[in-house]
Amino acid sequence: MNYEIVCGIETHIELATKTKIFCGCTTEFGGEPNTHCCPVCTGQPGTLPILNQKVVEYAIKAGLALNCKINTKSHMDRKNYVYPDLPKAYQISQYDEPLCEKGYIELDSGKRIGITRIHIEEDAGKLVHENGYTYIDYNRGGVPLIEIVSEPDISSAEEAREYAEKLQLTMRYIGISDCKMQEGSMRCDVNLSLRKPGDPNFGVRTEIKNINSLSFIQKAVIAEAERQADILDAGGTVVQQTMRYDEATNSVTPMRDKENSDDYRYFPDPDILRFCIDEAKVEEIRASLPELPFAKLRRYVNDLGLPEATAKQISRYRKVAEFFEGALAEGASVKNAANLIVGTIFSNMDTEEEKELFAVRISAAQFAALVKLADEKKINIGVAQSTLQKMLESGKPVEEFIKPEDLVGISDEVLENLCREAIEANPRAVDDVRNGKDKAINVMFGYIMKKTGGKADIRKAEALLRKLIGP
Amino acid sequence: MRAGISELAIKLRNREISAVELTKAYIDAIEKLNPTLNAYVHLTFDIALKAAEQADQMLKEGDAPPLCGIPMALKDNICTDGLPTTCCSRILTGFKPYYDATVWEKLKKQGAVLLGKTNMDEFAMGSTSETSCYGAPLNPRNTNYVTGGSSGGSAAAVCANLAVYSLGSDTGGSIRQPASFCGVVGLKPTYGAVSRYGLIAYGSSLDQIGPLTNSVKDAAIVFDAVRGGDKRDQTSVDYDYGPSLTQCLEQDVKGLRIGVAEEFFEGINPEIKSKIEEAIALLEKNGAKIEHIRLPALKLALPVYYIIACAEASSNLGRYDGIRYGYRTASYTSIEEMIVKTRSEGFGDEVKRRIMLGTYVLSSGYYDAYYKKACLIREEINREFDAVFETCDVLVAPTAPNTAFPLNYKGASPVEIYLSDICTVPVNIAGVPAISVPCGVDAKGLPIGMQIIGKKFDEATVLQVAHFYEQSAGEVIGAYEGGAGI
Amino acid sequence: MAISKAEIEKLAKLAKLSFSDEELERFTAEFDEIIAFADTINQSIEGGTEQIRSVGARMVSFDDLRPDEVMPSLPNEKILSNVEGYNGFFSVERSKK
Ligand SMILES: [Zn+2]
Repeated sequence: MNYEIVCGIETHIELATKTKIFCGCTTEFGGEPNTHCCPVCTGQPGTLPILNQKVVEYAIKAGLALNCKINTKSHMDRKNYVYPDLPKAYQISQYDEPLCEKGYIELDSGKRIGITRIHIEEDAGKLVHENGYTYIDYNRGGVPLIEIVSEPDISSAEEAREYAEKLQLTMRYIGISDCKMQEGSMRCDVNLSLRKPGDPNFGVRTEIKNINSLSFIQKAVIAEAERQADILDAGGTVVQQTMRYDEATNSVTPMRDKENSDDYRYFPDPDILRFCIDEAKVEEIRASLPELPFAKLRRYVNDLGLPEATAKQISRYRKVAEFFEGALAEGASVKNAANLIVGTIFSNMDTEEEKELFAVRISAAQFAALVKLADEKKINIGVAQSTLQKMLESGKPVEEFIKPEDLVGISDEVLENLCREAIEANPRAVDDVRNGKDKAINVMFGYIMKKTGGKADIRKAEALLRKLIGP
Repeated sequence: MRAGISELAIKLRNREISAVELTKAYIDAIEKLNPTLNAYVHLTFDIALKAAEQADQMLKEGDAPPLCGIPMALKDNICTDGLPTTCCSRILTGFKPYYDATVWEKLKKQGAVLLGKTNMDEFAMGSTSETSCYGAPLNPRNTNYVTGGSSGGSAAAVCANLAVYSLGSDTGGSIRQPASFCGVVGLKPTYGAVSRYGLIAYGSSLDQIGPLTNSVKDAAIVFDAVRGGDKRDQTSVDYDYGPSLTQCLEQDVKGLRIGVAEEFFEGINPEIKSKIEEAIALLEKNGAKIEHIRLPALKLALPVYYIIACAEASSNLGRYDGIRYGYRTASYTSIEEMIVKTRSEGFGDEVKRRIMLGTYVLSSGYYDAYYKKACLIREEINREFDAVFETCDVLVAPTAPNTAFPLNYKGASPVEIYLSDICTVPVNIAGVPAISVPCGVDAKGLPIGMQIIGKKFDEATVLQVAHFYEQSAGEVIGAYEGGAGI
Repeated sequence: MAISKAEIEKLAKLAKLSFSDEELERFTAEFDEIIAFADTINQSIEGGTEQIRSVGARMVSFDDLRPDEVMPSLPNEKILSNVEGYNGFFSVERSKK
């Protein structure tokens, strides 16, 4: 039978603050076990939490970027459960007064996925099970998180993936998290149920915990929807439980609950005063937000006339977009700048992370100087590409590779002589061209390029060669 | 009369006695009396003598603070770097914090000499100090009776002159009630006036550290030394009290409006009631205006207190799982079982009762009826106190409905024992300051305490009235014979 | 309102406590009395429906929150000073006879 997927996603994102949420310990990743710790973040008796301002600021940024309403009054609650990775036996979180509520993410289709709420909370420590022992490292304990809860508006695996991807992109853009799913700085829990099309009631849902890649989100939704459909088709009922997605077998299986009860006994944390954020502060934070990737994308396509695909690739990464816009500000043309970034610079960057970091050795102005030579047709695009590659490798400006005298270009007369030389030197290739083996003309191009150090205008050369070789 | 802190400070500065000599006198007295009284559970004599030497040096250099070189004691729930801090619970066996409570950090800087950590009810949960895993301290006034609690050891140590002063903590009366039972002065400051950093939490929204002393003036001096806002405790307040609260002590009570709420006197032992009435009459005779007022929500203060304190406690005490510090059970088959066994063996019955009650009132289905309701009534009680302080400067009430219980008094159920906190808990719920001063003895010779309650951050008026009463009432209970004799 | 032994057991599980049968009997009886005592608040003043807040009405503004400045952490020996650690970790044997 056909079912409709009803899916919501809860996303935990580690915030890129310098210090933990309730103490001055560093949030730096790694480090020897229990060296980024103090009495507060190891839950020593008598210690008290002091809320980090930046955590509140970052959460508000996230809320504004996701079109949320910001609650100007908010407080922290305790979520009580005993587990060795939680040193106080309660997680300080927010229950009934989250910082942000009622936002949305717009998918490419124009469909909006509602954001129910965004709240701040602390991360737990890490457990290592080995040789009959459990070892505990609290370095991650107390690292600030935001939890972003979506409405159950997602109705396909593709939408689930797109939602998570857009969320990731936005959070990176506003600079509050690196959102590295493999390292755990972004983790998704997917809630999913099925219902018959048109049925106003929700089915029984399951929760798939801690999915750590975008493609796994998509796969997990497909696998779980199939699993539930099989149960329903066989006349069974879905059991409400916590599940785990196993990427090796591409299957979803029930997880042994670490909690034997989910009665968390939330109550307001008496150690942390309720806090208020006035409207002016919210507006100040709003003003500090960069233009968001989707707004940029629209502008690149509509105002700059970039093809959608190129615009997407550039707007996707904040640093790339800044580099691109920096070059435009220096007078580079939209088309050449965009093509050189996507064609040449990106060919040096294999991973998403590298593009995200965009650690190039030249400035946007230096890049613009090169692009302008191409814009003014002082060099052809091939030279621009190879020169850019040299600039990227050395970090040196364009003048290091292209001398002013090179820029005079090759006169028509010189080029015609060169073409004649090329024909004389390669009689066999000339015959081949005459006999219809058109590719043989490349042999002559090679000759000309070698002689001119790549500076000849290849289109002009082709026209001349064809004229000289004749039909 | 026993020398107060300011007399001792003069003697130390005049070289009539050195801090080391003074400390040794207290060490001798502790060695003699503590085996009986059990006021101290951890002794820190080596550290005390070293601190005394440094204090003598500070005194020699001049400009030493008032508490420099004065031997004192801390309740065993106040964290002391490198020294045992166990809340008199088996579950914190061997625990030595590697950080100081803010109050101890402040006192140490001022040259305080720590003699040891004092006995208390386990995790400050109790009214007799008998839930201590080290056994109960005895009331120096009559060793067949309890000291009260939970700061029983702190009260006994000051009463028996085994410390010049001590710090206790007060969540529902834990400073004032033992002060009353032992015939000493106990001040519970305004919530937030003293940092809670390093005070092992019981009920976080109610807990407050304060002094137990032999006189009101000493209480003012010690309060001066420990108060102030703290970056490590967001609930603390940097209130401007002026340079010293001892300055307000010399004023009389003429024209002061003293509120008397009949709700505080319901069910009070008649002997106590009459002593308090005598004290009120004395204040009136000296020009105070007595206002008869009502606090109708007061009758709800007790269940509200137990619900809120236990809810917070059930959460605060979740961390004792045998993993990071303290006791861990010997044998188990899983970590889950290790945690359950550790807690079941490590906590005493009263602590377990309160954890269970706290768990119950927060659990789903009961939260609204208990915890939330209690918080709403708490706000109502606060409003009533606010209204009363529009027309009164202070309130006067008994500290406890009874004098000290006999030791091992088994006649009462847990709830009957809870009821004895009736006069003290409203003060914690409202977060206002209050002091207990001795105002006589009952037929058995056991001390009776009078409570003076003020508005938030108005410790000045509380201390002023208490000091005036203390000075004009004269000796209301006999001096304790024994102790350091200084 | 009487509380059942089963409810006490459920609470004990949440609180990570265990009781022997005999303790459980005694505890259930005591707990009844304690709950009855706590219940007295429900025979009283009408409670509002407002949301409750942490620590009374006091509030802080955004500017009063802690600035995001790194403070030195403590050495690992201190962090582990109350336990037998292992290679810098807190360590718990998963079963012990
Ligand atoms: Zn820390």
